[in-house]
Amino acid sequence: MRLVACDTEALALGLMPGTALADARARVPDLAVFGHDPAADMALLGWLADGCERYTPACMLDPPQSLLLDITGCEHLFGDETRLARDVRARLQRHGLSCRIALGATPDSAQAKAKYAARAISDLPVEALDGGDKVHKALRRAGLRSIGDLAIRPRKPLAARFGKSVVIRLARLLEEEDPRIIPRRSLPIIHVAQNFAEPISRTNDVLATIEMLAGRAALQLQERGQGGRRFEVRLFRSDGHVALLAIDTGGPTRDAALLMRLIRERIDALADPLDPGFGYDLIALEVPLAEVLANVQVGLETRVDTDAATAALIDRLSVRLGAQRVRQFHARQSHIPERAALERAAQSDAPKADWPKSAPDEPAMRPFRLFETPQPIEVTAGFPEGEPRSFRWRRHVHRVARVEGPERISPEWWRHARGYEPGNGSLTRDYYRVEDNEGRRFWLFRRGLYDEMERPLWYLHGIFA
Amino acid sequence: MSYAELACTSSYSFLRGASSPSDYVAEGIRLGLTAIGIADRNSVSGVVRAWKALRDAPDEARSAFLAAKREAGELEKLTDAEDAACETHIRFLAGSRLVFSDGTPDIIAYPATRQGWGNLTRLLTVGNMRATKGSCILRFDDLLDHLGDLLLIAMTYSTADEQEAHKNPPVYPFKESANPVEPPSHLKLVSTAPQDWESVLRRLVSVHAGKVWLGISTHHRGKDKRQLARYRKAANAFDVSLIATNDPLYATRVQRPLHDIVTCIRMGTTIQKAGFALEANAERYIKTADEMGQLFHACPEALTETERFAAQINFDLEQLKYEYPHEAVPDGWTPDEWLAHLVWEAAYERYGAVIPEKIHKSIDTELAFIRTEKFAYYFLTVHDLVKFARDQKPPILCQGRGSAANSTVCFLLGVTSVDPLANTLLFSRFISSDRKEPPDIDVDFEHERREEVMQYIYRRYGRHRAAIAGTIIHYRPRSAVREVGKALGLTEDITTRMVSTVWGSFGSGPDERRLVEAGFDPDNPEIARLKSLSDQLLKFPRHLSQHVGGFILTENRLDETVPIHNGAMKDRNFIEWDKDDIDALGLMKVDVLALGMLTCIRKAYDLMREQGIGDYDLKVDIDSDDPNVYDMLCRGESLGVFQVESRAQMNMLPRMKPRSLYDLTIQVAIVRPGPIQGDMVHPYLRRRNGEEKVEYPSPAAPYPQDELKNVLGKTLGVPLFQEQAMNLAITAAEFSEADANRLRKAMATFRNVGGMEHFEIMMVEGMVRRGYERDFAQRCFGQIQGFGSYGFPESHALSFARLVYVSSWIKHYYPAIFAAALLNSQPMGFYAPAQIVRDAQENGVEVRPIDVNGSGWDNAIEQGALRLGMRQIEGFREVWAHAIVQQRPFASIEDLARRAVLPPSAVHLLADADAVRSLGFDRREGAWEARRTPSDELPLFAAANARELGEEADAMLPVMPLSEHVAADYQMTRLSLKGHPMQFLRGMFARESVLSCAEANKVKNGKQVRVAGVVLVRQRPGKGNAIFITIEDESGVTNILLWARLFDRQRRAVMASRLIIAEGEIQRSKEGVVHLMATNIIDRTEDLAQLSETHQTNVGKPKIDEFARPHAPRGSHPRDVRILPKSRDFH
Repeated sequence: MRLVACDTEALALGLMPGTALADARARVPDLAVFGHDPAADMALLGWLADGCERYTPACMLDPPQSLLLDITGCEHLFGDETRLARDVRARLQRHGLSCRIALGATPDSAQAKAKYAARAISDLPVEALDGGDKVHKALRRAGLRSIGDLAIRPRKPLAARFGKSVVIRLARLLEEEDPRIIPRRSLPIIHVAQNFAEPISRTNDVLATIEMLAGRAALQLQERGQGGRRFEVRLFRSDGHVALLAIDTGGPTRDAALLMRLIRERIDALADPLDPGFGYDLIALEVPLAEVLANVQVGLETRVDTDAATAALIDRLSVRLGAQRVRQFHARQSHIPERAALERAAQSDAPKADWPKSAPDEPAMRPFRLFETPQPIEVTAGFPEGEPRSFRWRRHVHRVARVEGPERISPEWWRHARGYEPGNGSLTRDYYRVEDNEGRRFWLFRRGLYDEMERPLWYLHGIFA
Repeated sequence: MSYAELACTSSYSFLRGASSPSDYVAEGIRLGLTAIGIADRNSVSGVVRAWKALRDAPDEARSAFLAAKREAGELEKLTDAEDAACETHIRFLAGSRLVFSDGTPDIIAYPATRQGWGNLTRLLTVGNMRATKGSCILRFDDLLDHLGDLLLIAMTYSTADEQEAHKNPPVYPFKESANPVEPPSHLKLVSTAPQDWESVLRRLVSVHAGKVWLGISTHHRGKDKRQLARYRKAANAFDVSLIATNDPLYATRVQRPLHDIVTCIRMGTTIQKAGFALEANAERYIKTADEMGQLFHACPEALTETERFAAQINFDLEQLKYEYPHEAVPDGWTPDEWLAHLVWEAAYERYGAVIPEKIHKSIDTELAFIRTEKFAYYFLTVHDLVKFARDQKPPILCQGRGSAANSTVCFLLGVTSVDPLANTLLFSRFISSDRKEPPDIDVDFEHERREEVMQYIYRRYGRHRAAIAGTIIHYRPRSAVREVGKALGLTEDITTRMVSTVWGSFGSGPDERRLVEAGFDPDNPEIARLKSLSDQLLKFPRHLSQHVGGFILTENRLDETVPIHNGAMKDRNFIEWDKDDIDALGLMKVDVLALGMLTCIRKAYDLMREQGIGDYDLKVDIDSDDPNVYDMLCRGESLGVFQVESRAQMNMLPRMKPRSLYDLTIQVAIVRPGPIQGDMVHPYLRRRNGEEKVEYPSPAAPYPQDELKNVLGKTLGVPLFQEQAMNLAITAAEFSEADANRLRKAMATFRNVGGMEHFEIMMVEGMVRRGYERDFAQRCFGQIQGFGSYGFPESHALSFARLVYVSSWIKHYYPAIFAAALLNSQPMGFYAPAQIVRDAQENGVEVRPIDVNGSGWDNAIEQGALRLGMRQIEGFREVWAHAIVQQRPFASIEDLARRAVLPPSAVHLLADADAVRSLGFDRREGAWEARRTPSDELPLFAAANARELGEEADAMLPVMPLSEHVAADYQMTRLSLKGHPMQFLRGMFARESVLSCAEANKVKNGKQVRVAGVVLVRQRPGKGNAIFITIEDESGVTNILLWARLFDRQRRAVMASRLIIAEGEIQRSKEGVVHLMATNIIDRTEDLAQLSETHQTNVGKPKIDEFARPHAPRGSHPRDVRILPKSRDFH
């Protein structure tokens, strides 16, 4: 592992990007280290680029840590170049970011000047050529250290030794040749709308319009390889009132039919129904949140995808009842029964685990209904560690007719401060599947083995069927 | 009720079992089981340990009993009842758990006879050969091929995991192999076709009736009764017996947390995320017969069946009768006759017709002993190897080391080179009858040519009879803390910090003081948990690896004694038992080791022959008493000399003033952590220099008063060698031979196994009882403990002393040849090429630079001068150099590239190394010219044999300053003949009133100075109380000593810098050894950047700038990043 970036203090301690982490630690044992997240860096750079569109529309990312702005013709808006630069610096400072700004006639020269903090182009080191370590090394070994040294020499021997690209880059650095930058443009939010000369007011017409818009939006989403996670329909009434119908989906989608179902659900579930008044003269559909959704090839013999069907149901219920109200049990890998399941909002992005499968011809190991808190019971049982013979639950005595067990579950020692030492942590449980005289089935457990405590207690933890 | 546990999974099923084999045995004894069987996954690597643990159990119990009595102040004698209680009544069974890659449920296999054992190990070998190191790919059909005399317990579930197939499985000439090793269909094999246990059982019963059981266990999984009924039904249907086992994963339930951790490490997950990978409860320990009786009360016959099973096994590891290979004996001779013939012949050749009495006598006793112990084949086998090496053209230098040098027979066979006439040998240290172990002969070969010897062994004995010994790699404090921390879900950050509190690889885990220093609270439950669990994991085997060079050779198939594995290196195979196992079973091992100095000496001899100086060979003893050679050593001039070139040795030489080979022997042995920690060095020096009376502590009255004089006479009353330590224990503390030998064993292995406390009491009390002073006794033991890690036996030191002398002799008389040979044998020794060349220059050798028209690949001698070779150029290849030598002379760079057919990179390297001066270019112009030299020649120009490149206008490149030349020299060849980097900084340092090394070495004792230099060596020897730093400048070297308490404050400067200023006081010993006792170290590495003047780009900028130079950090010259070779560091 190596250091990717250092803050000012780390640099002052002699650390630098590229140092192996182990070496850095050997020098500064109490070094604070964070994992490198290139995606987050890119996101920050993109965010900064968005902000820089206030200066010019021609703004280009130059990863990992610079932005190129073509301010030709824009500087007068801020007074002049210097003031523009001052404005950039001030704004970045407010976000706690430092920056280095350089102006140049070509993007290459500006970028190199900023990177190497050089005032004049001739001061730039040969590394500014970006020709790879070998080229830089060769030039330096020849005693040619700066762009200035190269500028005064004939280009032909250079091209013979290092290739054309180095000479071109040199020309760009020396502002003899000006490539244009390719400005970055963010994709606009998908927005489709329909105007009406005459306001419409019939619900069916409104729905048909939305459906048409949904189809158009779906087409655009498909072109982008995306699916929407949030859809917003705005109904503009002729008297100026705007109604908003917003829909969230559990996963990215561009299925117009599904969307229409959800919109109908939403309309049905509205507390005060849609009031068209004098009719709508504009209906618009926006997709403010979209995610990648690959195109899926549909097979000839299409089977019903149960997962997709469940997801669709969850979406419908969530639209109707609210996302936090529709909940689902998720499997969790734990031997402790009450930890083996986790309840979460069904429309959740968290990865799902599989439920443990029991053998096909065997009865269920765990009850269908698990009590939230196990209920204490009185039990007569064989000694030691024998099976329960009868037990009293809610003042009613159950005689045990059949019993199977024990299923012994040890506590998760790592959850207790000293659980790794024998005798610490919580107690072992012995679970029994029990059937009483009347055919009712229970799940009992004894808390504690006889060598763990003298008089273990019994609990009822669940009921089968 | 009685019970035998037959399916223990030990820690040798790596990361599966959480108890060691000996823990299982101990627990089995405690619980009173009738037998205990270790069955590791596709392996038998742990069984010898268990077998040995059981064998030694009664003795250990008795010693413990006696020790307890002594503590209590009772009479140290056992009553008959007590003695009987120490006996064990448990049997140990060696088996293996077969885990299949084709979905077959696990089958536990025990050999019923010696033949069965052979079948089992062959079966495992078949699986190993298919897989890469550490994996084993077995199929059910393989088992069917090797069923003979195996008792099988079929389990009902598979525990298989992914195994890695060998891409190109080796096909060894395993004779009559029914199931040849076939290439795998795909690389990663997982369970493919799951076969249910019932059909597996049916097939097994049909071919192997009466020897198959169905293994059942109840682990409280909630449906045990239901399953038991099902198994009973199946057992009835197939007519097999049920057999109970608890399938233990650990010896006692206390180890469950450790087992969970080990599981997490294996799965690469954390304890929080492991989920169902962990066992639901803590039931998988060894249970007593009563507990098992309760569990199987519905099926008691499954319990009694364990007894019946064990009773059918007539195999014990003791039956692995070992037979030495017979190859070395010609037809018509018995091995003893042939050995005697060889030895006497050699004796007559060496000593003439009249063999000295002493030699005659020792040959007689040794041969007689070898005859009774039947070791003749062994000696002849080693002789055969040595003879092979000597018969090569040119011969491969070799020399025996270690205790074998105590044998006259070994000397006469040419294996060792310690002359029995001149030295007193202790044959009993080598082998003796009461040690039930085979002799151990280690032979060093030239490291560059050892491979030839190894391949010879394989050729001569075949891969089915020769393999390298295994080595068990154990968890060490660092790895244990790191892995346990990871498994507990601690962040990388915390575990790394924890690991940093562990200093060195050995010793115990993190100690509390260091924890606190690192900012941890030792009472924090997280930290306490990490510490407790990693302490438990310590000493666990981590994986199997191969020994450096110990070969196991057998007369019969080796794979019928022990499974063989594929090594990580191509064409290497190794067995899964390590040195201790091999010793315990009495197998033969020959150590074929590599020694760099032998290569160096051979290369020096070659050069001497070339120069017409004479023909030398290690066999020919150079007289070892040339005073000139010793004079040189006494001056501390030992750079490059074998063994005595380290800083500590160099300091010791002027104090020791060696004048004979035996002095060198002591010199080699004395500067070791053992004698240093045992505080034996200074007493010896004082006595040697006559400052202290030589006296021998004596026991109380009835005992012989001069008993220690006999033991310690040669070393002036100070124990320095392993033999003396053993002798001391025997003589002064009345150890039996066996005890002393066990002590020696414990010394060698105590860091893994422990158990020295026991001997400490025995020895110290024993000596005190006989009237020695407790302080002396304690000191003696302290030294023995030191030996444990780094002790030298005397015979070993003697062998090495010869190499010290030989290398010193070459260095003294032929310094140029010595330097060339050293450089040609790199990497080796303590010093970088720059120091070797500088040392040669100081000894009056002219050194010539590398040049395309003068140098070959190797460094060579040219009219008495040393001509550097192209091998010094980093990244240069030997074939290029040979092409250059064939085609020269050259007229131009183009000519060079074309005729020697060099790729551009080769030409660039030559130009950058300044090796084209004879073509009229200096480094800079040469590189500029080389840049335009095309890689392939155009055919038209080739036909015309004409220059392809046109004339070009002079590029007017700036002249390269000398300092940059020096920097570039260091960069390319790690040395410079043009100057020393420090000379260019001298002006600056002089202004700061920093002294040069030579000046510092001249000031008087106690003066405060500042010295600057580039760091050559950083060392933290022994206990780590002091750090030694050696720095160098253009005038010489200065040795710096920094105490550890000062080091912690200056860690960064010491660890990271290449150039330092050291401030402190000069200390001068009376022998003239000078040290700088540093108080302050300043990192001045940045100043090296000044050697190549650049920095124009950086003018007026802050020195630290986070965005400035992401590519070339610090000084912007890329070459400065590594201007000097890396210094040799600790850790």
